[in-house]
Amino acid sequence: MRYLSILVLSLGFAAPTFAGVDQSLDQHILPGFDRFAESADALAKTAAQDCRPQAVRPAYQAAFDAWMPLADLRLGPSETGALSVGFWPDPRGFTPRTLTRLVADEDPIARDPEGYDDVSIAARGFFALEMLLFDPAFSHYAPGSYTCDLVATIAADLEHQADDLKSDWQTGFAATLRNAGEVGNATYLSRDEALRALYTQVLSSLEFTATKRLGEPMGTFARPRPALAEARRSDRSLRNVVLAAEAAHGLATALADWPVPEIDAALDRVHEAAARIEDPGFQDVDNPQGRLRAEVLQQAVTGLRASIEVELGARYGIAPGFNAQDGD
Amino acid sequence: MLRTILTTTAIGIALASTAQAQTAAEVLDTYADIAEANYGDSLESARGLQDAVNALIESPSAGTMAAAREAWLEARVPYQQTEVFRFGNPIVDDWEGKVNAWPLDEGLIDYVDGAYGGPTDANQLAALNVIANPNFTLSGEEIDASEITPELLEGKLHEADGIEANVATGYHAIEFLLWGQDLNGHGDGAGNRPWTDYAQGEDCTHGNCDRRADYLSAATDLLVSDLEWITGQWAEGGDARDHLMQDEQAGLSAILTGMGSLSYGETAGERMRLGLMLNDPEEEHSCFADNTHNDHFYNGVGIQNVYLGRYVRIDGETVSGPSLSDLVAAENPDLDQEMRAKLNNAVQALGQIKTAAEAGFAYDEMLARGNEGGEALIMGGVDGLIDQTRSIERVVAALDLGGIEIEGSDSLDNPDAVFQ
Repeated sequence: MRYLSILVLSLGFAAPTFAGVDQSLDQHILPGFDRFAESADALAKTAAQDCRPQAVRPAYQAAFDAWMPLADLRLGPSETGALSVGFWPDPRGFTPRTLTRLVADEDPIARDPEGYDDVSIAARGFFALEMLLFDPAFSHYAPGSYTCDLVATIAADLEHQADDLKSDWQTGFAATLRNAGEVGNATYLSRDEALRALYTQVLSSLEFTATKRLGEPMGTFARPRPALAEARRSDRSLRNVVLAAEAAHGLATALADWPVPEIDAALDRVHEAAARIEDPGFQDVDNPQGRLRAEVLQQAVTGLRASIEVELGARYGIAPGFNAQDGD
Repeated sequence: MLRTILTTTAIGIALASTAQAQTAAEVLDTYADIAEANYGDSLESARGLQDAVNALIESPSAGTMAAAREAWLEARVPYQQTEVFRFGNPIVDDWEGKVNAWPLDEGLIDYVDGAYGGPTDANQLAALNVIANPNFTLSGEEIDASEITPELLEGKLHEADGIEANVATGYHAIEFLLWGQDLNGHGDGAGNRPWTDYAQGEDCTHGNCDRRADYLSAATDLLVSDLEWITGQWAEGGDARDHLMQDEQAGLSAILTGMGSLSYGETAGERMRLGLMLNDPEEEHSCFADNTHNDHFYNGVGIQNVYLGRYVRIDGETVSGPSLSDLVAAENPDLDQEMRAKLNNAVQALGQIKTAAEAGFAYDEMLARGNEGGEALIMGGVDGLIDQTRSIERVVAALDLGGIEIEGSDSLDNPDAVFQ
């Protein structure tokens, strides 16, 4: 009830201008796909020159950093496209199983970067690369080996995906969002719908971070599951949480046409909680102190989501739509 | 999250006008009547399955095995239509994992092919094989499984160690016991468990036929009792019906939440598109029986049923009444037309998958790497379901009388509510 007065007040002002859709594209999404395509290109070039883990890992980390601001978008070209860039979570171990089979069979697809997009998403993108580059079961391969070629091919396929996503967003879907409500736009029948679609992405991303990126390794107090931490092999689990929260904040602030002090403060709390985490791969969630620190971070992420609902959603008068993570 | 969308306010405001409030109550009545009839039909056909399973166990033969499989397939038709009642009705959502959990690590239950592998990082019990092992340790606890009972399956084995893939009960456990693993990969054919897996004495194949029969019997009995329970929840005075009726706004929200979440995140996303992108022949909802085309199709029909307020029972009788469609038509006839058209399109696209599968192009063949025809069929269904989700969102917004929707929002009155 205490928030109602804020709302009523905001309704007293002029209606929001809905510039937020353009801003979110121009400030966040489109530059993000530019950066991702550049860093994926660098990764592919590196792996083509030297596909051994030590050589590829830095470019891998940089490309993953560039992906995180976009990783949780599930609309337009990213509706399906994001799944083959980052297939996670993988509770039934499709990635190790599929890679093991490719390597054992020496499937010739590993030497066909153009045809590699037919392969299971479990053997594509960042998490397949991570398994090959960081997991001891795969990472002791020699130059010229099948696995080394596979790494270069997955990197090349990732570059293709990054280019496709960039151009599909730039040349097609950005206009669909911008032209929401205009005659001929069958996807978004009003400006509100485009705004709601983007807003849904922000909230879904934070929910995913709280329940999956943090919730999966935390498990229950009696049964923590550190092995389920996202990107733990490359020690990126914490980094991904922080980058995802910053991305949600970035998209939310782009959507807002006004100062958002609560949302800013909530992101600060995420940073504070993240700074106290000791293991970047969340492998200490199986001791009480480690778990408590993860819980505090989880609460901060949930708090960021709540402040976005109040400071952004309520003022626009929008509620989120269905999200891709609904379901089991 | 899925509940958040619908807690918006304005449905309530739409309903504040008296004429519509009347209609909303009637719409909820129709919905609850359909749920009761649909679960009642699921129960009746599960009892048919129980009879067929008993016949198989009492006199194992190729004929009784085939009859049990046929009864399982029939039982899936009404059940899959009920899935639209899951999301949005907490009583159903909390219960449904007992009867339709998927996917499963079937090695928990019975023998599997060598290629299945052993315990995995994610599931130490993936190859437990309780039918062959009367005693084992589970999370440090010694388990006496010398007698396979409903209590053992429900209380100890199901979701053992907190792993969702440890599915010990429900339709898919029974499916595995009737068909066995489908070892044909992306090729023709479903699971081919011999009827002699239930033969007693010397004819028994793969060992422990008595324990296998006990397991099948216990799992089928549990399915029947679980369906009895949920049918009662929807009867007059049942908790699910009462909960729905408590608040008209929340009740309509529950209908739309169920439609949208089953369409998008669950069927289009988790069950269809993900399986296609993984190219794994086991990534289909009924992987042992190769019945996935029907699973998806009847999900689509169920979603349509609750919008149109009309359900055709397994005896041919129709349950119908004032519908969400009527409510939307009164508010925005064009949107009602759009919603109906989208539901039709999705059912038709899912029907094309069914048609192709029944003509011999099985769902697991469609999933094969590089199979463009299969990909087009499955993505046609996915696109239809995603497309109708957008219209469902429009229905949510339309019942919302636009602009003044903020007052009375649960998420504003109580920001914590959205996380509950």
